[in-house]
Amino acid sequence: MTARGPFAFTISLMLLVVPCLAKEVRAYTRNEYKRTVENYQVPEVTLVNQDGRRVKLGMLLNSKKPVMVDFVFTTCTTICPLLSANFSDLQKKLGPESGKVQLISLSIDPENDTPKAMKAYLQRYNARPGWDFLTGSREDISRVIKAFEAYTPNKMSHLPLILLKSPSDTQWIRIFGLVSSGELMREYQRVIK
Amino acid sequence: MRMNFETAKDRFFGRMLRTLTLLLVMVSADTVWAEAGHPLTIAEVSKEEALRLGARMYREGILPSGEPLEAIYRGDIPVTGKAFTCISCHLRSGLGSIEGRVFTPPTNGDILFRPQKSLYKGVEIASMPPRRAAYTDDSLADAIRGGLDPSGRTLNEVMPRYMFTDEDMKFLVLYLKSLSTGFSPGFSDGTLRLATIVSEDVRPEERDAMLVPLQSFVALKNRQAKVYESQPRKARMALPSMESTYLKLTLSLWELKGRPETWRAQLEEYYRREPVFAIAGGITASHWQPIHQFSEDNQVPCVFPVTDLPVVSESDWYTLYLSKGYYQEGEGAARYLNNEEALLNGRAVVQIVRASGKGSALASGFEQSWRDLGRKAPVTLLLEEEKQLTKELLEQVMDRENPAALVLWDDSRALPALDALTAGKNRPAMVIISSGYLGEDLWRINEEVREFTYITYPFRLPQEEAPYLPYVDPSMRNMKLKDDELKIVRKTYSIIQVLSRALTDMRGNYYRDNFLDVIGMMPDLPVPLYERLSFGPGQRYASKGCYIVQLSKGPRPELIKKSGWIVY
Repeated sequence: MTARGPFAFTISLMLLVVPCLAKEVRAYTRNEYKRTVENYQVPEVTLVNQDGRRVKLGMLLNSKKPVMVDFVFTTCTTICPLLSANFSDLQKKLGPESGKVQLISLSIDPENDTPKAMKAYLQRYNARPGWDFLTGSREDISRVIKAFEAYTPNKMSHLPLILLKSPSDTQWIRIFGLVSSGELMREYQRVIK
Repeated sequence: MRMNFETAKDRFFGRMLRTLTLLLVMVSADTVWAEAGHPLTIAEVSKEEALRLGARMYREGILPSGEPLEAIYRGDIPVTGKAFTCISCHLRSGLGSIEGRVFTPPTNGDILFRPQKSLYKGVEIASMPPRRAAYTDDSLADAIRGGLDPSGRTLNEVMPRYMFTDEDMKFLVLYLKSLSTGFSPGFSDGTLRLATIVSEDVRPEERDAMLVPLQSFVALKNRQAKVYESQPRKARMALPSMESTYLKLTLSLWELKGRPETWRAQLEEYYRREPVFAIAGGITASHWQPIHQFSEDNQVPCVFPVTDLPVVSESDWYTLYLSKGYYQEGEGAARYLNNEEALLNGRAVVQIVRASGKGSALASGFEQSWRDLGRKAPVTLLLEEEKQLTKELLEQVMDRENPAALVLWDDSRALPALDALTAGKNRPAMVIISSGYLGEDLWRINEEVREFTYITYPFRLPQEEAPYLPYVDPSMRNMKLKDDELKIVRKTYSIIQVLSRALTDMRGNYYRDNFLDVIGMMPDLPVPLYERLSFGPGQRYASKGCYIVQLSKGPRPELIKKSGWIVY
């Protein structure tokens, strides 16, 4: 390979990857979001929740409830508070029905997000039962995030994503962008219909 | 295959609904405020107190009245100050952030109250009209409440719309006017002054293991700056970090003598003579606490002191540690043991602790984690400094408690008793010890003891370290270094990595809070010694992992992993 080889390879790779991401990014910086339907093969892993209990992710994802997943970390500055406020508000709006949907926040900073830190975080957002925050080994967490096409090597560049699934469906609704409470509720209603 | 179901009609109605909700909330909020009145006006308090209350609004989301602030996010989500403070996105320095591809603009006093220039690749374009006019007190209030900038543009809805009364707003605006308005002490004439600290209880070889690489980094940086000064074309290629290419550094050595109780006065005197911008590294064989407190009180950042005895705090701001040191090993032991349910089975855990700084830090980490995991406090036996852990004493404790596990925080003096334990009838199934406390004596553990002895090891395993070695040793090539001195060299490599990147990421904004903010926003770093240094806003211990290992059999044992880097 000539000296120019690796450089040319990087540029070609960027030309291929950037347009795919750019469309999604443009949408959400305009306060819009992008909704797509996806198929994901999620690995069988055991993670740990905010109470320190071991949880089989597959069992949580395939419970008999509709499921919503996001990817956050407890010391995140910008996006995670917004995603979590949305989960919090959804639970509040659902009121007594809030237990009928399973909310899952997956930590993308497993080194720092201990059960204790996650529990304090959920309390900050007045989380009710039915909202679980999961951490685990870096390897397991990365496998899950990659399976959901939500992986970024740097957690500071993570994606504003919420994934929804009906218990009767194998497909996921992928919402890319920061949605309003009304928009999320509408998506939820569509999923449980 | 992705399919887009979002329609233009959906978007239109969504936007209308959000606008109406926002208007409704703002009108009703105004009415409520007018009725409730406000007990505290800015005229009633001193300027100092008003600034403190403004800072509390900015950092903690608490109004001068003591109530949490309230806001509306994304048009229809009510949020409170518990989760949505200004500092979350604009950071402590007010210089903003880029996270998750959301750009949060600066809100510090220097930038808010002057027009914002148009930029192209970080360079101001004088010929273009400004991107926004300078904020005034009123237009700033409009932006914070209603999301309109002085040029009439709507701010991104990621910015919550805050419901402040006029009076509350005065506190916040006063604080913003004072926020990051003049560079911090320690920067002038293109030179950033740093210090490093060495106490006299450190061996000369250890001192050099930190000092030599750090000094050669500073010399290299200054040589580069000189080259860039004479060749501006090269400097321009370093965009967007041009400011840091010309930056020069000085590194003073603050030597601490005598007992730690006397250090504070010495530090204050050094600082009075030369108010440095930050402390880079530093090394002591004692607890870092007096230096930590000096940094907190004088708001001087300290990056990666070489210490295994840091202050463990969830709220202190100014010292960034490589890890929690011995405390972290204690945490690792508790987490590992917690997963051994079959072994524990309701039986006691005995902890024997040497009365020393190291023993106490290990025990604190273990006990705190053990409690957090919902476990009953371990049976703890304190070994006075001069007391030997004898075979008889150990057997007596084992016979009395018949524990499932023994956690032993001691140095090599404990090894003979462990040998005797091998044949004892009440030998616990698991003994946990600290690699940090044992040091090189770790390798002397007898073969019979190895199979029930588990060791906390908060570093990458030696046999996996090879790919990282070439990066760290060039300045030390001719020095014959022992293992613990090599560890110091490698820790210093992390200091240099983080320092070097922070100088670039500050982009010429030489505020101490910005220095710590940009480190908090760094991506995780691959470095020698630690599996991962990870950062995050407000996180103060970069390496969070700890392996639990055992020694293999044979005359030249290796470490064998019994756990992952992080254990839950």
